[in-house]
Amino acid sequence: MDELQLIKGIQQGDRKSFQQLVEKYRQLVMNTCFGIVHNRNDAEDLTQDVFLEVFRTAENFRGESQLSTWLYRIATNRSLNFIRNNKRKGFFQSIEEAFAGGRNRSKEISNYQADQPDQKITGQQRKEMLHQAIDKLPEKQRVAFILNKYEELPYQQIAEIMEISLASVESLIHRAKKNLQNQLYECYKKKCI
Amino acid sequence: MDCKTIHKDLIFYLDNELPNERRIIVQKHLDRCTECREFLALLQSEMQIFSDEKNPEVSPFFYTRLSARLEERQEYQPQNQWVRLVQPVIFMLILVIGIYGGLQLGSNASNSTTNQPATRSIQMLDDFEAEPIESFLLEKL
Ligand SMILES: [Zn+2]
Repeated sequence: MDELQLIKGIQQGDRKSFQQLVEKYRQLVMNTCFGIVHNRNDAEDLTQDVFLEVFRTAENFRGESQLSTWLYRIATNRSLNFIRNNKRKGFFQSIEEAFAGGRNRSKEISNYQADQPDQKITGQQRKEMLHQAIDKLPEKQRVAFILNKYEELPYQQIAEIMEISLASVESLIHRAKKNLQNQLYECYKKKCI
Repeated sequence: MDCKTIHKDLIFYLDNELPNERRIIVQKHLDRCTECREFLALLQSEMQIFSDEKNPEVSPFFYTRLSARLEERQEYQPQNQWVRLVQPVIFMLILVIGIYGGLQLGSNASNSTTNQPATRSIQMLDDFEAEPIESFLLEKL
């Protein structure tokens, strides 16, 4: 069954078509969500939300772009929203903690290496450093970079997903790499990785 | 060529995105500079994480869970609409009963006091205020 037939089936409420679509595309959606949220469980919850949205709004899909382009778009939007909401929650939580005299968690993370200078840097710590560096990228740079790195998408498809020009994608990814390199260099200088 | 300009190009060197001329300059610098080589190794190991993290495992019950959520949603929605319709009606009823009850009480009260002069009822209130509640309770005991 091709993409359009699958979508037509879903538009008519056919569960078999929906299941086929989910099986075909769940890894793609999972990868994209994971690239942005860096947590397997959150990424899987978001992947579920993406497919629920697909089922709910299938009639909006006109077949003018590839189905995958539509899925990438929903996945990135949902993941970015998730991060924004978490940040907001984190902000209120840190206020609460400040009032309750609790310890500030974000400080803990950035200083954990300083507490144990003699310990060898583990793979997990390296990952966390990279994730933190990615999270500091401006949203558009982050999305373009992640679609390119985790999904290995060509710049042209990233341009379609993000609804921007090819030149903009090139510039976003170039700046993302420069920013990442600078952040990692700072870490290298401070011996935090 | 100093290290500062070299380390700015290393991520592009890794991704094979440097023009040929520049690539050769960077290569030559790397051959004799330990610090830049060290940073290159660090960048390389960080970039390797992308390939290691690719394709995170999806739980085998993914579709079962999704299907259950879909059903929950479809069952929930009509009930939700029903609740959305009935809730304001119940609130309105409670409000109307409350207002009616209030009006009834109010009219009873004004009926009982119509024969008395207004000053009399004020005085009664003042008396009540002047009497401490404790003594009132003690009297009862
Ligand atoms: Zn150097």
